[in-house]
Amino acid sequence: MGVRVGKWLCLALLGGLVTPLAQAARIGEITQTNWQSQAIDFLTFSNPAVMHAIFGSLFLGTVCGLMGCFILVRKLALLGDTLSHAVLPGVALGFVWNMTKDPVAIFIGAVIAGLLGTVMTQLIRQTTILKEDTSLGLVLGGFYGIGIVLMRMVMNLEEGNKAGLDKFLFGQAAALSRGDVVVMGIIAVVTVLLVYLLYKELLVTSFDIAFARALGLPAQWIHYLVMILLAFAVVVALQAVGVVLVSAMLITPAAAAYLLTDRLSRMLLLAALFGAGAGLVGAFTSYLSTGLPTGPFMVLAATGIFIIAFFFGPRYGLVSRIMLKIMRQRRIQVENTLKAIFQVRERGGFKEEGVTLSDLAARRNVDGRVIEQEVRRLERGGFALIEAERLGILERSVFLTPRGWEQACKVVRNHRLWELYLTNAAKLQADHVHEDAEIIEHVLGDDIVMKLERRLDFPSRDPHGKLIPGQKDMERGFILSDEVNPVEVLP
Amino acid sequence: MVSRTIDGTKIESPLPLEIHDLTVAYRKTPVLYGIDLEIEPGQLVGIVGPNGAGKSTLIKACMGILPVSGGAVRIFGKPFSKAARRVGYVPQRESVDWDFPVTALDVVLMGRYGRLGLFQRPKATDREIARKCLDKVGMLSFEDRQISNLSGGQQQRVFLARALAQESDLYFMDEPFVGVDAATESAIITILQELRDMGKTLLVVHHDLATARTYFDSLILLNMRLVAYGKTEDVYTMDNLQRAYGGRLTILSDVAAVREEGK
Amino acid sequence: MIPDFNWDAVIYETWQFDPWGTFQIILMGFFVAGSCGLIGSFVVLRRMALMGDAISHSLLPGIAIAYLITGTRDASAMFIGGVIAGLLTVLLVEAIHRNSRVKVDAAMGITFSTFFAVGVILITAFADHVDLDADCVLYGEIILVPFDAPVRWFGVPLGPESVVQMGSVFLGLLVLIMLFYKELLVTTFDVGLARSLGLSPQVFHYGTMGVLSLVIVSAFEAVGAILVIAMLILPPATALLLARRLSHVLVWTVVLSALYAIIGYHLDVWLNATMAGTMVVVALLIFCVVWMSTLVCRRWGQHAAMEAMESVETLT
Repeated sequence: MGVRVGKWLCLALLGGLVTPLAQAARIGEITQTNWQSQAIDFLTFSNPAVMHAIFGSLFLGTVCGLMGCFILVRKLALLGDTLSHAVLPGVALGFVWNMTKDPVAIFIGAVIAGLLGTVMTQLIRQTTILKEDTSLGLVLGGFYGIGIVLMRMVMNLEEGNKAGLDKFLFGQAAALSRGDVVVMGIIAVVTVLLVYLLYKELLVTSFDIAFARALGLPAQWIHYLVMILLAFAVVVALQAVGVVLVSAMLITPAAAAYLLTDRLSRMLLLAALFGAGAGLVGAFTSYLSTGLPTGPFMVLAATGIFIIAFFFGPRYGLVSRIMLKIMRQRRIQVENTLKAIFQVRERGGFKEEGVTLSDLAARRNVDGRVIEQEVRRLERGGFALIEAERLGILERSVFLTPRGWEQACKVVRNHRLWELYLTNAAKLQADHVHEDAEIIEHVLGDDIVMKLERRLDFPSRDPHGKLIPGQKDMERGFILSDEVNPVEVLP
Repeated sequence: MVSRTIDGTKIESPLPLEIHDLTVAYRKTPVLYGIDLEIEPGQLVGIVGPNGAGKSTLIKACMGILPVSGGAVRIFGKPFSKAARRVGYVPQRESVDWDFPVTALDVVLMGRYGRLGLFQRPKATDREIARKCLDKVGMLSFEDRQISNLSGGQQQRVFLARALAQESDLYFMDEPFVGVDAATESAIITILQELRDMGKTLLVVHHDLATARTYFDSLILLNMRLVAYGKTEDVYTMDNLQRAYGGRLTILSDVAAVREEGK
Repeated sequence: MIPDFNWDAVIYETWQFDPWGTFQIILMGFFVAGSCGLIGSFVVLRRMALMGDAISHSLLPGIAIAYLITGTRDASAMFIGGVIAGLLTVLLVEAIHRNSRVKVDAAMGITFSTFFAVGVILITAFADHVDLDADCVLYGEIILVPFDAPVRWFGVPLGPESVVQMGSVFLGLLVLIMLFYKELLVTTFDVGLARSLGLSPQVFHYGTMGVLSLVIVSAFEAVGAILVIAMLILPPATALLLARRLSHVLVWTVVLSALYAIIGYHLDVWLNATMAGTMVVVALLIFCVVWMSTLVCRRWGQHAAMEAMESVETLT
């Protein structure tokens, strides 16, 4: 597990680094800075602003990753978006408090505004006919409008213009002060602690709230806690990512983690890592291109991670699933060819060891080129050998290796056992069972086969009277003669 | 109160469930009205009634999941909030998000949360109990599977295992047999009967009137009001069923008629 | 922080100084709010608010690229760019949520915010080359409208370009709604009935989204990418608290838009803070007033009803 996470992180960082670097180079040209020296600056921490940017990004990435998981599993995506827009008036008022960019004042203002917006959404939904999406959109736009007006009013003032309040719209990690980073750090620690301590309460209320109430858990309080932590997450990310794009930082790293694991605990861990990674990459890229806001770069880095997880996730990634499907189809085809070889030999009473490709092609009902491909595949898998001497490929014979023989016997056994089961236990007609068995023969596991054999009382023949290969036949290898001795029954 | 004599001493213990004049309303429309019930311990009770009769509402109101507009519910003599530990719950399966990142074992482990304090983590003993409960329902080999990779019957068994892990004395179950194959259904009813034999009390909302007759010791016939409650053979009469289901009986008429003939 | 309020300065002087220009500005605001409100009514009633939010964000890179390619603020180029971006968004959202566990709302969030991020980078990186800046993206600028080049119709100057454009969108919307009123009504409220009548709900769904994109692109310069969602939702939401029939809702939407424009303009003159923003503030305030009144009326009505019941009980 640790190796896998490490692998993903490296891949993600790599992917996330290459694209912005390339872009940074281009942007560097435009803004006429030497990006190499800037990069060295960044990586050697020679600038305190850089330290702030790095730690700030780590904190915000972690918090957004963690809370993003709860947004995803509690289906709060639109709420997250609303919250992130609704904090703007709070930010403006927080600034007005002291006429400076006081991190604590801004934090408090933003949290209050955010929570006010959430409460208003709830009230609108409960007291009017307006539905949830409407009330969320309403608060989102309305509060944002108030925020914009307040911001412009602030910027009209002399002191206001210098405070860099407009940086809050798209984010600027370089503008993080020490005070900002301290506040972000405290929020990050509090969030991580609460999520860790209250993990099981959060888990069960997210998964099955009726059961949580039935357990006697304070489900409503947990909901309020999630809202508050969400508001915190938004505020933490505010300065670096900007009001508009915070919701992306909340959803995207968590969505990437969602695609990589089956357990919430691992999802939380991965999301925090991805968030921190995206934050770092975004800060780095934005640092290289002075004057450009940080928010969009962090979002793009996070999306890059998501794209990698979406396509290459080991279990749920698109590419992996397609490859699995292809591999499965190959396996089925190999097994069908093996089965055909068995059947041709059986038709000849198992007197001949080899089967000519032309006979095989006839049995499989395919043309020569296809059968040659199939048989070569068998060869590569170590299931068969083709004799090399004769001229035409179709006149040559193919011989099964012990491994190939065993596999062929298994497939035939599965097919015939299943047919017997369907005719006996499910009372189907003997001529109705073939297609079903054609599918099932490839997927029966050994434990089910054992159960079937026991249930059918270790049969020797299928509904059509053909032999069902047993363990001894597989071990015997090439020789199996009907007259010499019928299949022995396992004890 | 239930009184028993043990070793010559009379012991009185509160009933598992006492419902007095319960009314539950949803936005001004009553869904349940004036319900009175006293359930004795050690019974397998079926709750049946037509759609919208308030069957799910009844058990949810008992557990405080839905707000109560009038009347009172006592579980072992206490309000639910004080007695939650003694109550187990299997909710309806349709409200679950199957893509949630949890495995079968994670789900069953949730059943132990009621016994853990706010900041406590499940201990090794909790995991052991969870695994035992999974084994009891025959799902131990699936403990690491994410729940969407299970069949309907398997999912239901996992949720039953969760309720078992709660180690309760009173169980509420909401339509546990819906969408479940015959083998799973008989496995579940066997487990329920075992629980009953151990002295537990079970209230099960059931969707199928025909099987209700054979599965349960007692029946609650519900249609917003309490139509009847008592031993199954006493309650399951044509008269009661007509009153509960209105004109909506179809094969029931045949079922009840056959019963009448058999008497 | 709050500038002094002076009746003369805020109200009278603007009208005295340049009545025609002032009128044009307010008219523009009215057209923007009205168009957004009209199409927004259907967005709200069809529960497509999230979709509206997504479209407004995702159009940005399309508009920005069209901008950068043509180098002008040509409406048709921006419209094409916007539509392409919108279509891409829909395709990507489908692709994500059909091929993975990720649900629709999360897929939308990821897609449109990525698109928006790309759009922001394009605009801020190449901003000096063209006449488009970040502020415009966020909240537009209506006040500059009178300075636009006028549109001439057979030699007769109609008005500034953007006003005429927005006006045509508004009138076009009115015409569409009047023509298809019955169909819109049925496909919004009763999809089953619509199908049985031979209507295709799909067509109306995509048609609505298409018109929505058109309105958002047109309103982009006036209100920016983000405030447009407020203009889409607030008028119909308020109207729904005041009326129950679709036709009345639409009428109220238009009336409210006029109010937003008039009051919003003067509020902007007083506070100097972008008319789009002040219009939204006005819209929110009006919503709250209406909302509170409905709550009070309801309480009052309940109170009266209870008193009536009690008096009846004492009588019997």
